[in-house]
Amino acid sequence: MRKGSLWGSDKMDTVKIYTNIIKDNMDRLEKVNKLINLGLTTAYYYVSFFKDRRIPKSLHYLNKYSIKSIKDSLANPQNSAWVNLFAPSEFLIAVDIKPLFIEAYSSFMSGFFIEDYLIDTAESRGMSNTLCSYHKTFIGASELNILKKPKFMMTTSTICDANIPTFKYLSKKHGVPLYIIDIPYKYSKDAVVYVKKQLLEVAEKLGEVFNRKLDTDKLREAVKTENKTRALMREYLNYAGEKRFIPTMTFEMYMLFASHVFIGSKEVLHFYDMLVEDIKRAPERSGKSIFFIHLLPIFEKNFKDYFNFSDKFHIAGSDLNYDFLDEIDENDPFKGIAEKLILNSFNGEINRKVARIKELIEKIKPDGIIQFCHLGCKQSMGGTFIIKNLASELGIPFLYLDGDCVDKRNNQEGQNRTRLEAFLEML
Amino acid sequence: MIGYICKYTPVEIIEAFGEEPVRLDPGYKSHERAEALIHSNICSFAKGVLENIIENNIEEVILTACCDSIRRLYDVLIDKVKFIYLLDLPRKKDPLAINLFYNEIIEFIEAYQAFKNKNFAEENLLKIVESKFFNKEKYTESIAILGARLKDDVIEKIINSCTASVINFTCTGEERVFNIEARDNLLKSYAESLLNLTPCMRMAEDRSKLINKEFKGIIYNTIKFCDFYSYEYAELKSKTDLPLLKIETDYNDSNSGQILTRIDAFLESTGIKKMEKQKAKKGYFVGVDSGSTSTNVVIIDENKNIISYSIIPTGPKALESAYKAFEIALNSAGLQEKDITSVVATGYGRISIPFADRIVTELTCHGKGAFFIDNTVRTVIDIGGQDSKVIRLDDSGNVIDFVMNDKCSAGTGRFLEVMARTLGISIEEMAKVHKEVKENITITSMCTVFAESEVISLIAQNKDQRDIIHALNKAVASKAVSLVDRIGRKGKYMMTGGVAKNQGVVYAIESRLGEKLIIPFEPQIIGALGAALISLEGK
Ligand code: SF4
Ligand code: SF4
Ligand code: SF4
Repeated sequence: MRKGSLWGSDKMDTVKIYTNIIKDNMDRLEKVNKLINLGLTTAYYYVSFFKDRRIPKSLHYLNKYSIKSIKDSLANPQNSAWVNLFAPSEFLIAVDIKPLFIEAYSSFMSGFFIEDYLIDTAESRGMSNTLCSYHKTFIGASELNILKKPKFMMTTSTICDANIPTFKYLSKKHGVPLYIIDIPYKYSKDAVVYVKKQLLEVAEKLGEVFNRKLDTDKLREAVKTENKTRALMREYLNYAGEKRFIPTMTFEMYMLFASHVFIGSKEVLHFYDMLVEDIKRAPERSGKSIFFIHLLPIFEKNFKDYFNFSDKFHIAGSDLNYDFLDEIDENDPFKGIAEKLILNSFNGEINRKVARIKELIEKIKPDGIIQFCHLGCKQSMGGTFIIKNLASELGIPFLYLDGDCVDKRNNQEGQNRTRLEAFLEML
Repeated sequence: MIGYICKYTPVEIIEAFGEEPVRLDPGYKSHERAEALIHSNICSFAKGVLENIIENNIEEVILTACCDSIRRLYDVLIDKVKFIYLLDLPRKKDPLAINLFYNEIIEFIEAYQAFKNKNFAEENLLKIVESKFFNKEKYTESIAILGARLKDDVIEKIINSCTASVINFTCTGEERVFNIEARDNLLKSYAESLLNLTPCMRMAEDRSKLINKEFKGIIYNTIKFCDFYSYEYAELKSKTDLPLLKIETDYNDSNSGQILTRIDAFLESTGIKKMEKQKAKKGYFVGVDSGSTSTNVVIIDENKNIISYSIIPTGPKALESAYKAFEIALNSAGLQEKDITSVVATGYGRISIPFADRIVTELTCHGKGAFFIDNTVRTVIDIGGQDSKVIRLDDSGNVIDFVMNDKCSAGTGRFLEVMARTLGISIEEMAKVHKEVKENITITSMCTVFAESEVISLIAQNKDQRDIIHALNKAVASKAVSLVDRIGRKGKYMMTGGVAKNQGVVYAIESRLGEKLIIPFEPQIIGALGAALISLEGK
């Protein structure tokens, strides 16, 4: 049996049996909850006990940390908030609330092979079948009450259309307070003032809901930690082009826990510290390196075959993990965070994103760029041809493929295989 | 001329420039030029706009930062038109949001002034705004159109075919009301009133206040790849008691026969469809159901006895088939055309039948026919050759809700036919039931094309043919039951249409529903029977 990455291996049969047990019990909520919890616990102990030598210490730590964070928020909904990937983590850290973010939960459910059931449920309640499956899976789980309602919800309007309506829907359905942070598309002084005021309201709302006052010093502390973390991130990027480091796609995706929802925490700082040490020691770059735009299809068979633990091809990074690389103003954390939210490279005109990708590509110098167009993700695929132009300007081969990062039924594996293979042969 | 699409566009400012704002309302069948510039899986309205701009060489465009599709449309258009402006649009409307929007409007004015080399005069704006004063009429009866934008011509058709007034809450239908008091800062109060238009789903505000209990019904439009609106539909569906019709379009095709049929049926069922009253007559009454696969005719007498019926495959010319089926039914009843008092046509081809006195949608007819056969029926599952539908009846047999599958053959007779061909057996062979299953196979794909390749690979794996058939029946059943679930389960159930003759499918649906299906003696003629009954009753 292959060990290591939780979903990157061939433990399929065990998982399948487990999947069937969950599906057979869908009408018994308590049982499903226990089963999901058991799955997470097993996964957690699995990674804790079977250390895979191929996996650097830092990533192993991240793996455990990510699973634990999901477990913690599910275990204690009264101290947890549902958020999106871009919700400002600093506030949650400052009041010690455990966030559960939609994208992560849905990925895990796909890991348990029950996403199809949850998606069908969401669709049968009226959700559009062209809606992003990260959202549909989450909504399905909440419709079935597999997910216990949290005490609070918070979303930004970035980076896609689905956020506001999903959260509005869930908040109304469960009667849970929601704060929507509207992020203007353009940066201006007035835009910062507008967001800053909303962040002040977030602080107030959190205080009200959880009955603990947000301490601005703690917020500032989180921002300081975050700034230190980003310095390490930039340092890591200096090596990303020279080393072969990320062993499976899952890790590049796990990194979103660290670069987004939990950034500002001591644990994430510790992770990046280890990460920089690890990558320094990693073997020199060999084989071909691929840079990913936006998401990596961690459950798609062809990609798993080609990229997980491969000597020939390796993952150079993805722009989503580096959507903000600047320092946040520590003197006025509210204003600083507002700026961070508006200046995210995925917000605003595509030129902003193109500039970031260009900067990363020039630094990392990958051999190829792949954009996996996740079905329903229009903010990303709407820009595909523009990114393609950038790649050809830089003289780097570019491939885009359509598919689904969560709902495996939407992946045309045969078709994609030919195109992916031809592309990789071309490099 | 400057093209725009969003109701939050400062149209009056453009008019104050002496320019002509034109709301783009594309309706293309294909988006060849657009898809060369943007990925095909974005909202098709946005693709249509792109196609429109290229085809008609539109040089000036103003967009709002509405949604992901429109934002990317802007990115693509930037170097393709002479003037383009993306207006950032806040989702809230507190004073800071208004201020932000106000600044955006000022920046737009500056950009447009520079481009046109013209000056903007506030007095012009004031005149225009004052001239657009809107007085709210009180309507006694109204029907609301909610959801994503609905094409102008569809709206117009609805207005023309219903007796109630139509309130269009979508992006295409805003009465622009301006309540501009603070003359000292005209632009700011203008910005404020724009932000205060009826909020669309993109906005942070709660929209439940839009729903008025007095509405006669709600037509809810959703557009493929538009994320905003299905949530509200899901919520309405579970909460409102008002009659609710969901249509899903890709914008450009919202004018199609199928959509209009459903809208008509809905107007019929809510009792606000315009129609001529008819008196009951004596004699013989005919119903013609001109479907896409078969044409069926039923003749009844004034006491509602079925005198004869016919079922023939619909040939390439629907009209010829209708004549033929009519003739067969007349012959077997021993009647002549002059004995017939009136004819009602239904089905896809209903519009093109010249000998029909009236046309009624197949939804109303199916409901009517099914309830006549068995008045305990509350749900009709009709699976025909190329479409399937589920109809909900109330205790008096009125159609109160329905769903149809959306223009694809998944889970229909056509699907089974293709699979039978793939398996190399006849459709009759396939319809035989095999209760004993060796292996419980599941076909995951609902799309005919993909399911076919799944079947091919099952054959290659040497799976038992009976198990594959069982799996296919399950697939059809699951599609049918998911349609049922969209309007909620309620017995008793009747199954009609050609596929009701397939025992395997019937069993599969029964086991999924956990309830027996009533199968009429001839499941294919229920629509025609309903039409004949309507022809007799005149309603
Ligand atoms: S994948 Fe795209 S559509 Fe889905 S949540 Fe992420 S950004 Fe939104
Ligand atoms: S959804 Fe709202 S913002 Fe978008 S075009 Fe319609 S009215 Fe404008
Ligand atoms: S229909 Fe929806 S996705 Fe399409 S342009 Fe309008 S708001 Fe955007």
